[in-house]
Amino acid sequence: MINRMEIRLTDLGLNGKIIRLGGIKNIKGTIQNEIKLGAKTIIAVGNNQTVNKIIGAIIDTEIYSDFQKKTLLGIIPIGDDNSIASSLGIKNSEEACNILLARRIEKIDLGLADKYYFLNQATIQSAGATLEIDNYTLQVSERGEIKIINLLSDNKETIKSNPHDGKLEILIRTRKNDETYLTSSRFKISNPSEKLIIDGVAEIETPVEIGVMKDKVAVIVGKERMFE
Amino acid sequence: MFNKENKLEKFKDAETIIGASIKVKGNFQGQGDIIIEGTLEGSLKTDANIFIGDRAKVVASVESKDIIVNGEVRGNLKAKNYLAIGGTAKIFGDVQYGEISIEKGATINGQLLMLAEENRRAEKIKVEEREEGSGK
Repeated sequence: MINRMEIRLTDLGLNGKIIRLGGIKNIKGTIQNEIKLGAKTIIAVGNNQTVNKIIGAIIDTEIYSDFQKKTLLGIIPIGDDNSIASSLGIKNSEEACNILLARRIEKIDLGLADKYYFLNQATIQSAGATLEIDNYTLQVSERGEIKIINLLSDNKETIKSNPHDGKLEILIRTRKNDETYLTSSRFKISNPSEKLIIDGVAEIETPVEIGVMKDKVAVIVGKERMFE
Repeated sequence: MFNKENKLEKFKDAETIIGASIKVKGNFQGQGDIIIEGTLEGSLKTDANIFIGDRAKVVASVESKDIIVNGEVRGNLKAKNYLAIGGTAKIFGDVQYGEISIEKGATINGQLLMLAEENRRAEKIKVEEREEGSGK
C-alpha cells in the first residue's frame, strides 16, 4: 500500500525524503532534524496516531521556531481511525495525493491538554466530572460523554465548530438525552475516576488545564473539509 | 424572537445551552443567547436573550435583553426589553421589565416594576451601540 503511494506521489511530481517511523524511538527528534535541514512540508502517512505524533514534533519546541512557523502539515490517511484526515476533507489515500498537489492551505487552531496537542477533540466520561470555566463551575452527575472539540470529525454533528476562532466547543451528552453546549478558550476539567482521551490516541489523568492555540498549525486541506 | 409556545426561535444559534442534568455554580456571563434547562446558582447575565426551561431551577439574579421563563427562578429578574412568563413559571423575587406577558398558571412572588421609559431608551441605545460595535 505504502509502496503504491510512493509511486503515485512520484507520478504526480511530489518528491521528497521518506522516513519510516516504525522502529524510530525519537520520532520528535527525527522530524525536528528534518525541519532544521529545510523540510517545508511534513506529510503524515498513517492514522490519527501518526498525525498526533507529527504535530507534537512540528510545533513542540522553540529551538527551531523560525523553521517550524513555515512548516506545512499534509496527511495521507491509511488504515482505521482517520477522523483528523476526514475533518480536513481527506477521505482516502488516493484523494490525499491530489489534495497535496492542489496545496490548499489553512491555518487552524490546536487544542492543548496539559502538554498534549489535539486537532480533533478530547473526550472524557461525564459522570462525576467538573469543569471550572472563568467564574463558574459546571458539575455533571449523569453518565454520558464530554467532548471538547477543536475540529469536528463528524459532519452529522448538530453543532458547528470553527477552528479559527480561538475557542473550543464543549459538548456534554448524557444518557438522559440532554445536551449541554458552550464555548471556552481556557478551562480546567477533572474527573477522578476517568481519563481524558486525546484525539483517540492518548489517555491522560485529570485534573487538567485545557486551552487552545489560535491558528497554530498550517495544514493542507481538501475542498470537503468540515469547516470554513 | 419569541413564538407562541414560548420557545426560542433560533434555538440552534444559542451561544450556551445548559442541559437538565447539569449544575452550574458561580457568575455566568455571556454575550449571546443562553438556554438554561438545568440548575444554576449564582448570577446569570448576557447582552442577548435568556430562555429558562420548565425543568430549570435558577437560584440567581438574572439580567438580559429578553427573557423567557418557564421554570423556577429564586432571585431578581431584569429584562431590559421584554419578559415572557410562561404558565409553568415560578418566580420568587422582584421583576423588572420593559414589556411583559404573563401566562395563566404562573406564580410570581415579588414586585413587578416596569422600567421607566427613559431607562428603557437608554438601555436600548446601549444595546444598539453594542450590536453595532460587534458588527451584528
